[in-house]
Amino acid sequence: MVTPPAHIILALAICIAAPYPASAQQAAAKRPKAPPGMVYVPAGPFLMGSEKGDPDERPLHTDSTRAYFIDRYEVSNRDFAAFDPSHRFPAGREDNAAIVTWSRAEAYARWAGKRLPTEREWEKAARGTDGRLFPWGDTFEESFVTWGPENSRGGSIAKPASPYGCFDMAGSVWEWTADWYKPYPGNETPMEQYGETYKVMRGGSHFNDWAMWRTSHRYYLLPEQISRYPVGFRCVKDAE
Amino acid sequence: MLSTLTARIGLMGAAIGLSCVPAAGQRVHVFPDTTQPLHARVAACERLILGNHWNEGTVIHHVIFPPAGLDRPVVGPQADCLDATSELLVAYAHKYAITKDPADRQLADSVFSGIQRLERVTGVPGLFARSLNRTDTALWHEKTLWYPEWHASRAMPGYRWLGDLSTDKFTSIVSSVSMYWELCADEPHRKAAAELLDRFVGRVVNDNFKLTDLDGKMTLWGNMCPDLPHQPLNSLLMLMGLKATHRLTGKPRYDSAYRHLIRQYRYDDHQILSKMLFPEEWRNVGDDYHAARALYLLLRYEEDPSLRNKYRMNLNRHWHDWKSMDLSWESSPWFIMAYHVLTGEDVKTPYRQHHMRSLQGFERRRRTFEIPGPSGTARVESEEEVVSAARIRNYWFGRYHGLIDPAW
Repeated sequence: MVTPPAHIILALAICIAAPYPASAQQAAAKRPKAPPGMVYVPAGPFLMGSEKGDPDERPLHTDSTRAYFIDRYEVSNRDFAAFDPSHRFPAGREDNAAIVTWSRAEAYARWAGKRLPTEREWEKAARGTDGRLFPWGDTFEESFVTWGPENSRGGSIAKPASPYGCFDMAGSVWEWTADWYKPYPGNETPMEQYGETYKVMRGGSHFNDWAMWRTSHRYYLLPEQISRYPVGFRCVKDAE
Repeated sequence: MLSTLTARIGLMGAAIGLSCVPAAGQRVHVFPDTTQPLHARVAACERLILGNHWNEGTVIHHVIFPPAGLDRPVVGPQADCLDATSELLVAYAHKYAITKDPADRQLADSVFSGIQRLERVTGVPGLFARSLNRTDTALWHEKTLWYPEWHASRAMPGYRWLGDLSTDKFTSIVSSVSMYWELCADEPHRKAAAELLDRFVGRVVNDNFKLTDLDGKMTLWGNMCPDLPHQPLNSLLMLMGLKATHRLTGKPRYDSAYRHLIRQYRYDDHQILSKMLFPEEWRNVGDDYHAARALYLLLRYEEDPSLRNKYRMNLNRHWHDWKSMDLSWESSPWFIMAYHVLTGEDVKTPYRQHHMRSLQGFERRRRTFEIPGPSGTARVESEEEVVSAARIRNYWFGRYHGLIDPAW
C-alpha cells in the first residue's frame, strides 16, 4: 500500500476539520470588513513548517490561529515617516518598504494600533492552509517574485498574492515577526542561536538566496543590529 | 614550514628597511613606487601581503592595525579571507610553474595549509570557515558584519571562526586548490589537495548540493540544490565543483553526480544564463568573477563537445559584456586573460594591456573606528591597509600564459 505524503494527510485533515461554508456568498457575508490596507485571515488550522527545508523548519505540523487582519503590503517609507518624521530614505522611494530595526517596527505597530505578527500568523498569511511552498503555489517562477524595491507593492509580473491577498511575502524585504528564534515543539535539532537573542524574520529578500523565499523558511537576526539586511515588516490586528 | 616562512618575512623586512616606526604587527612599510617596473611593484605587493596580511596561512585583504583594540593585525570588517587566500594560492601555483623555485612552492604549500586550517578549525570534516582568529573572546568587530556566525572552536581551543560559507567561497576553494594541484603541488600535497576537495564537495553532495552550517541549516548563499529554486550561476558552480573533484580524486561518485544534475535537472542548460545581461544595471562583476573561475576549469576539464559548447555559450554571454567593460576592478583584467587562454583568440588591445601593466590595489590610510565595549563605544584612530592578492594573481597568471612580459 502506498502511504500518501504527510502533508497531504494533514491537508485533508484540515479540510475535514474546517467548517464548510454553505456558499461563497455566505462565507463572504460572515467575513469581517478589514481595516484599510489590511486583509482578513480567518481562524482555524493550517499547515506550518516543512520536512524538506532546513532543520529548524521541522516538523511539518498543524498549528492554528485566531482570526486576524494583516497588512496587504509591507509598511512603506511614507507610512513610517508619518510615525517618525526623522525616518530617512532615498528620494523617490516613498512607496518602498521601510527598513528598520525590530524595536522601531514594534513601536510603529503600537502607534498604529496594531502589532507585529507572530511567526504562525505570518506563515499562515503567506501560505494559506494547504502547506504550499510559495505564496502562489508549489512551483517557482522568477516573474512571480518581487526582485527589488522598485517593483514592490504588487509590482511583480504575475500571481504575486498569497491565498488571503497579501503581496510581496516572497522576496522584496525580509519581514520581522514578534517571536524569538526558538525550536518548534518536537524539534530536537540543536541550534546555538535558539533562545531570546535573535528575532525571527521571514520571507527572504531580493538580497538573499531564492530558497529563502519559501513560506516556511525561518531566519534569525539580532533585533537592533540589522546591518546590511534589508528587513522591513507588516502589521497585524486582532479580528475579535 | 610556517616558522621558515616567518623567518623569510622577517628577513624581507630587514632587507628592505623600515621607513617609519612600525606599530606592533606591521612588518613591512615600503609601498610599490609607480616609477618602478611592474615586476618590482608586484614583488613589493608580495612583501606587503606576506608581511602585514598573513594570518596563519590565510591572508586578509583588509587589515586593521593597532591600536584599534587589537594587539596584532587581524581580520577587519571585510572578514572573509578565502578570496584573498585562494588568489594568493593561484598566484604562487603559477609562479612556481614558471620559476620552479622550491621557495615559491613552499609559499604555495603554506597558503594551502591555511585553507586546510580553515577546515580544521570547524572540527567538522568538509566544513570550512570563511576566516579564523586566534582569540579566546569575541572581538569587537565581529558584530559589525551582517552574518553573525562567529563560533568558538572546539577543535582548536583559543580560536574563533566565521561560518556561513557561500557559493563564491566554494568557488574560491575549488578553483584555487585545483590549480595548485595542477601546477605546483608535489605528490604528498596533490594527495592532500584531492582529499580536501573530496571532503568539501563530498559534504555538499551529501547535503543535497547545499552548503550547510554547523547546525545543518543551509547558509545564506549556499543553495546549489536541484530541489530548490536557485540562480543559474549556482548550477554552473556546482557543475564545476563536481567536475574538478572528479578530476582530482578519480572517484566515480562525483562524475555520477555531475551526470545526474545534467540528465535529471538540466544544469547544463540552466547554467547558460549565468550572466544576466539585461537590464544592464543588473550586470554584476562579482558574479562574473565566480562564473569566470568556474568556466576556466570546466572548459579545460570537460571533453564532451556538447557540454563544451554549452559552457562556451555561457562564456560568450559574458564576453558580450567583458569586451567593452571597464577594467579597473581588480579581477577584470583576469577575465580578459582567461578568455584569451580559453578561446585562443588574441584579444589584446592597448587599453587591456595598459590594465595588465598597471598595478593598483594597495592603500594604507588612517581611520577612526567606533569600538563597542562593556562601558560604551570608544572612538579610536588607527591605520588600516588594503593589498590586493587578485592583482598578484593576475600578474603570475599573465606571466605563465605569456600575456605579461617579464621585462614590464
